[in-house]
Order: sequence, then structure tokens, then C-alpha cells
Amino acid sequence: MSDRSLTQTEVSLNPLSSERVNITIDGISLSVPKGENVIEAALNAGIDIPYFCYHPRLSKGDAANCRMCLVEVASTAPDGSVRKMPKPQTACTLPAAEGMIIDTNTEKINKDRKGVLEFLLINHPLDCPVCDRGGECPLQNNTLYYGASASRFTEEKRHYPKAYPLSAQVVLDRERCIQCARCTRFTDDISGDAQLGLLKRGSDVEVGTFAHTSFNSKFSGNVIELCPVGALTSRTYRFKSRPWDLMTQKSICSKCSNGCNIKLDYRMDEVLRVNARLNEDVNEEWTCDRGKFGHDYISSPDRLKSPLMRKDGKFVEVSWHQAYSLLADKLRAAGTNCGAIAGGRTTNESVYLLQKLFREILGSNNLDCRLDSNPLPASDPLFKKSLQTGMGNKIADLEKMKTIMVIGSDLQDEQPILFLRVRKAWRFKGAKVVYVSDHLTTDSTAVSDFASVNLIYQPGSEITVLKDLENALARVLSANTADSEPPAQLNTQPSEATGLSNNDIHLAASLLAKGEITIIAGKSVSQHSQYVELYQSLTNLLASTNSEGNLNIPVHECNSLGTMDMGMLPGSGPGFTKCAGGMGTAEMLQASADGNLQVLWVMGADPVQNFHNNELAVRGIENCPFLVVSELTLTETAKRADLVLPAVSIAEQEGTFTSCEGRVQKLFKAFEPVGSSKPDWLIVAELSAILGAKNLYFTFNDVLQSISKEVPGYEKINPGTIGDQGIFRTVPAAG
Amino acid sequence: MRDDEPTNNHSQISHPLMNNPAVKDFLTRITQGKGKAEDTAGSVKALATGFSITFKHYLEQQLKLKPTNTIQYPEERREQFPRTRWRHVLTRYDNGLEKCIGCSLCAGACPARCILVEAAENSDENRVSPGERYAAKYEINMLRCIFCGYCQDACPTGAIVLRKDFELASFSRADNLYTKEMLLEPYNASSRVPISVVDKQ
Repeated sequence: MSDRSLTQTEVSLNPLSSERVNITIDGISLSVPKGENVIEAALNAGIDIPYFCYHPRLSKGDAANCRMCLVEVASTAPDGSVRKMPKPQTACTLPAAEGMIIDTNTEKINKDRKGVLEFLLINHPLDCPVCDRGGECPLQNNTLYYGASASRFTEEKRHYPKAYPLSAQVVLDRERCIQCARCTRFTDDISGDAQLGLLKRGSDVEVGTFAHTSFNSKFSGNVIELCPVGALTSRTYRFKSRPWDLMTQKSICSKCSNGCNIKLDYRMDEVLRVNARLNEDVNEEWTCDRGKFGHDYISSPDRLKSPLMRKDGKFVEVSWHQAYSLLADKLRAAGTNCGAIAGGRTTNESVYLLQKLFREILGSNNLDCRLDSNPLPASDPLFKKSLQTGMGNKIADLEKMKTIMVIGSDLQDEQPILFLRVRKAWRFKGAKVVYVSDHLTTDSTAVSDFASVNLIYQPGSEITVLKDLENALARVLSANTADSEPPAQLNTQPSEATGLSNNDIHLAASLLAKGEITIIAGKSVSQHSQYVELYQSLTNLLASTNSEGNLNIPVHECNSLGTMDMGMLPGSGPGFTKCAGGMGTAEMLQASADGNLQVLWVMGADPVQNFHNNELAVRGIENCPFLVVSELTLTETAKRADLVLPAVSIAEQEGTFTSCEGRVQKLFKAFEPVGSSKPDWLIVAELSAILGAKNLYFTFNDVLQSISKEVPGYEKINPGTIGDQGIFRTVPAAG
Repeated sequence: MRDDEPTNNHSQISHPLMNNPAVKDFLTRITQGKGKAEDTAGSVKALATGFSITFKHYLEQQLKLKPTNTIQYPEERREQFPRTRWRHVLTRYDNGLEKCIGCSLCAGACPARCILVEAAENSDENRVSPGERYAAKYEINMLRCIFCGYCQDACPTGAIVLRKDFELASFSRADNLYTKEMLLEPYNASSRVPISVVDKQ
């Protein structure tokens, strides 16, 4: 961990002024914010300046090392005389000033660019044909447009062993590196782990980790996309394809609830890599490593290719016709004595049709989607209030906050994109962070590294900590002594059980007292047995600083929120409307274990692995009279099923996910499903038709339109409006 | 004779030759079945004149009085032009390593999109080509190929070349999918002539 990553940037401390200056670039007069870099002004105006090391999302302090963005600069003196600077300047570090005249396309500049490229290519191996970056490489492109056709360098180039493994995912080729420091600045500025640095000096400079440890950042995959040459490449994508052989489809990451926009690059029905897709309001242009590298399941050979039916204890492949007939018979026989569990990975359409099938056709209300231990019953008004809202702030709005309190969350791991926003707010926007956690979750959390105050309390004393904080905040607000030391006379000792010093509590309270605060609560809060008290304390904290509504309790799976919105809860119909109650996950598993539940349908979930009470899950699943599982592969639950229906991955279907902030985003279909597998919604739609449904659904759009009509909050969402970047579902006013 | 039946009226035939009275008379006569004896004689003469030319050439060929352009394929084969482009071959270096590095530039350049390349990484245990990368799969769909030679132009190592073997017909479509094994130059380490010797010759 270096100090570079532990300071707020200059931009964050001194934001750009609103003053504007007039500059001229290539004869075009522009009015730009004072202090904006010339390269940004030029690129915004559509004037091309080649660059390698500059990146709009990285701090500018360490830039200007590739020398590619050289421009000629002249300044206008007050008397009107124009004076040219004797040497070209780097546009990426040149702040715009009144009267600046910039030329980007003179003979001199073109010669300089040729020279710079010749220098950059001196040690570059030019092994483009075998380089994974070849075909989409900024160095290739700029050399083609601005470089000389041949090199005059005849000496021996710098040599290193090829394919040095920086980590299990990232491969480094030091010969190709042009020392632009984008990757090292990424780990300083964005991911915050500061693991990469430039080692050695001069032409020997190489990217590496301190003491050659593994580059184990949770966001390491982004440096592969950032690298303007092929120095950092992906181990999983290595030599898999060339860019011109790839097809690309827009998609949504299904690894967590943040809803990153991604691109699936695939070839011959195999997803070969995942790249970030720009969405300024969600993931900007980043992905976490789980999303970037965890796509091998899509093209796994273990994928189910046809329905499996258990005959004499063994699975045999059957046709869909046989599978449907059996399932329809069993459901008819079971009557209302059946239930369904859908995981948070299923699309809105699948869940919507599934609950429709159970509620309207079968007349069963035994539906649930929760596998984690939730302290509240679904019928509790607070459950609806806290979960339907999910996040009080949009992800993009987090960076506008002055103080961000993160409580009980290993944010980097639980909500990687929220973590990046919080860090951006701190590093580039001057926000202060208060981190509240118990000892158990601190070690692996990166938030504590840059938090202004770390309240690390004794496990189990959450409630007391928040009460102390509430009291301290009240004191600070009443005394209006936000920045002073804790006043001695009010210095009541905080409860000893928490293990916190009075000073820390006061410091945290004075940060919160400044207003514009937001709170992000993690798993340890949402699954806490005293959730109600915690929720109350957190809302009190927000209320006393006029920040009501800024409570964020993000869900954890890619469509947890959507599944609940669609009504996959006992006693809570589509849009959290009240409806007849039924059994929840635990009750269903218990009933199944006792043999009281005739048919249990598990869709996109693996209770045996993921249910919080493993013993009950195994008993319920194994003793279920008829268990039907729709899944991609034979999971632990599917292995115990009587009928397994092959479902499809995100790449093979259309569908929508509702992210933790309530953004409904669309999955686009990349290629045809493997084998005879079908999207979950189609399986349910076809089965519903067999069981006598009145409304028939044939396409994804049919279902989405039906959702738009029938699910409160989803009125605005239809195939025409959803677009590439998704739109927000609305939360109806409390009632 | 019915009214709507076309009359055998040659005057309706419009042809420049019909302006020649001799031709017109001749045609009128023979189409009306009123041909004379000299008409037959003239036809025989014309036939004989034509066939005599054929026969003359026949004799010339048989007695080899003149050079011929016809070759007796498949017993005989014409020598191909030096830059002719037919069947693809994946070549090797003299030490037997494949020149192909699996870069897929040929596939990128191919206007017919008939080349499929899948690359893999060389290891010291399994070294197929020099450097890091080799083609694990290399297929050309010969039914699609238009023999433009762009793949050869694009190839950075000179691995893919179009050579003179033009006999590419086959009885099934599947046979026209040429795999890497079919395209790869055979290698026999013992009979290999070093390239320096070839250059001197």
C-alpha cells in the first residue's frame, strides 16, 4: 500500500472553478472551464489529439509520460500580441488559460508525433500478429495514423521473458510496455489497492507488484482494458480469438446486484471474454474481476442440454413433451399443495410468469425467493418499506454526497461498483467516509483504508454503537461544534461494550453533522437478528441530519430486487401488493421434509448450497415427493431432483434484471441456447399453456408488456423504452 | 388450308440475305418442294468443302505436321504458370516447426470468409511453432474460397501459400472442408534439404 493511493486528489480538494476562458484550437474558438486540460477541451470539441497515458477517469498528476499528445501553444498578451511557446507542450497536462491558441496539426507537431512513436516503438517487439491486443490496439492505430512507416532502430531491443503472470488472471509482457502508467494509476485512483507500481528506472522501467506478490486486486481485470498496448492481457482470453473474429452483444452482469453493463464477446457460441460497457450512471467503464473473468459457466461442457427425468434412481434424457406431461400431471395431482423457490438469478419475466402460474392457475401461494436468513417476515410493513426501496440513492448520486457512512459491509466484495463510487466520491469529489464495522469483517475491507473515521466495534454491539452515535450527533448538532474537540462537560463515556473511544464517536458524529450524508448498510445489517432496531437507528441518524431517504440497503443477487418486485414472496404479490399468504422458503422446506408438499419447483436457485439452514435444506430437498429444478448445470439441488429442466444463461436469452438501485436493464440474446435448453420464462409459459392458462406468451416482449401492465412500479418499462442502459422502476408511495 | 394457318410465305422472312435474289429464289424453291438437281449438288459441295478443312486439321494433328495446344488430360498435364494460385499449403521451417502462428490475419483478410483459425499457446513440452502461439485449428472451406491469394499476402510469416495443385473436385461437400492436417506440408526430417543448398542450386 503506497501513500499515493491514500490522499484525496487535487481535483477533489480544489474542484474546477465555474469561470470560463476563451481558447482557440486549430482555429476553432472555444469557451471552456478555466483549468480544464487542453486535451479534454479538444476531444470534447471533436478535435483529435492522439494519446496513450491520458485517461479521463484517472488523475492527471502522473500523466504526460507518453509525450504523444504534444501540441503547439501560443498565448495572447493583454496588448494583443501573440507569443509562441518555444517547445511543444503536452495537451494532457496543459490547463486552459484565457487567450490560449493551440495548434494540433502543424508540420512540426506531425514530425514530433513521428519522433515520439519511433521512440515508443524502439523497445516494442512489434509482435502484433501474436498479441491479444492486435487489432484493437491504440499503439497500432496511432502508429498507422501518425507514425513513420519504418524504424531506423537496428540495435537489439530490450528483452524479457514473455507472459509473466502478474496474477492468475493478468499476464504481463514487459517487452510490449510503453510505461504509460495507466495501470498503476488505476490501482491508485480507482481500485485503491495501489498494488501496481513502476519499478526500476529509464528504459528498464517495468510494471510490477511490490516484492513480486500476486496482483490480487478485486478489479485487476480493468487494467487489461486500460492498457494501450498488449502488455497486460487476460489469462482466460489468451490466444482465444482475434478481435475481428469476435461477435459482441450487450448484456448485464449477473454476478452481483449492481447491474454492471457489459459486453459479451463471443465466437462460435462461446463467450470468450467480458468487457465493460459504458454506463455513466452504473459502472462507468469498470467491471470487477468476478464479472470479468467468471463467464466460463456459460459455455461449460457441464451445461444441461435436454430435460432429465429420474427413472429407477438414475437420470435419463427425455423430450420436452415427456417432461411437460409429467410435470403437468404432478402439478394437477398436487392441487394447491405445491410451492416454488426462485433464486435471485432468474429474470423478471421468468419469475413473473412463475408466480402467475402458481397464484392464478394452480391456486398456490407458496412462493419465495429468499435463501438468506431474513429476520423479517415478508408480510411485515418494514420489510416492504426497506426492501422495496432497496437503495435510497442512485449509484451515480453517491458521489454527490459530503459524507458517506458504510456500515456492516465488506463493500468491495459485496457491492464492488458501489465501492468504486464511494472511493470516487472520496478521491475525486472530496467526500468523507465513516466506516462502521465489527472486527469480523474489517480485514478484507478496503473502505477502512480511506475512511476518515473507522469505528471498529466489538462484535454484537452494533445497536449500542448506533445509539452512541445518535447521542453524539445530537450533542454536536445542539452545540453546533462540528469541528471542535468533544466538549468535556458533555463527555459521557460511550458504552464500554463497543470498545470505541469517545473521540472517534465524536469525530464521526461531527462528520455526519455536516449534512448531505448517505448510509450504505451491508449484509451484516440486512441479515442482523435485530434488524428492526438497526433500521430505526439508521433512519434516526439520517433524520437528524435532514437526509431522510438516503439509506441504502442493497440486495445481493443480480435480480433479487426484481424477483421480489414480481411477487415471488409469500403474501406479497407483484409490486409488493398485498395478497393471500403462503409458505416461505423455510416453511416449504420443512413441509417438504415432512412430506406435506407434493411438488416443489426450484428455479435458478440452489438451496442445498445456499440456504442459510443447510440441514433443513438437505432434508427438505431430499424428502420432497416431487422436486423439479430448472437450472444450467447439475447443482447439488438438481442432483436430488426428480425432473431437471435445462435453462439458459444470460447470453442465450432476452430478459430483464432489476439492479439493487431499481434500474431495470435488458439482457440481449447473443446466440442460440445450447442443446434443447429453454429460457425459464418460456418453460413456464409453455407449461402454463398446457395447464390451461388464458393468457398465452410467445415472446419476451409479450411478457414484458404484461409486466408493464400488471406490476405496479413497472408501468414505464416496455420493450420500446428500456433501451441499452435501462430505466428505473418507480417505488409507489408508502401505503 | 385453314385461314389462321401460317402460309408458307417466305417473303415474310425478314433477313438481309433475303435481299439477294439468288438466295430468295433458292429458298423459295426448296421450301415449296420444287428443288432442282443442281440445288442438291451445291449442298454436297458446300458440305465437302467444310469437312475437308476438318479433315485437313485432323491429318495435321495425326501426322504431327503442326504443333498442338491440346493436351491429353489426365494422362498429360500442362505446366502451371509460376504465380498461379490454387490449393493452399501450410508450410514449415526446415527444422519442421510450423510457420503458422495462428494469428488469424488470413481470416481477417479473406473476402469470402472461408478461413477458420483457432490458436493455442506453445509450451516447451509441445512446441508446434516458434514463439508463443500456434494454430490449433486451421480450416479452409474450399467451396467458398475464391483463390484471390489475400491470405498469402496477409500472412506475416509466409505460412499459408497458394500452390499449383488445381485438382480440387470431390464427390461431397464435406470433403471440401480442408483441415490443418490436409493443408500442412508433410515433414520428413531425414529427407529434408537445407534451404542453403536449394539457394545454391
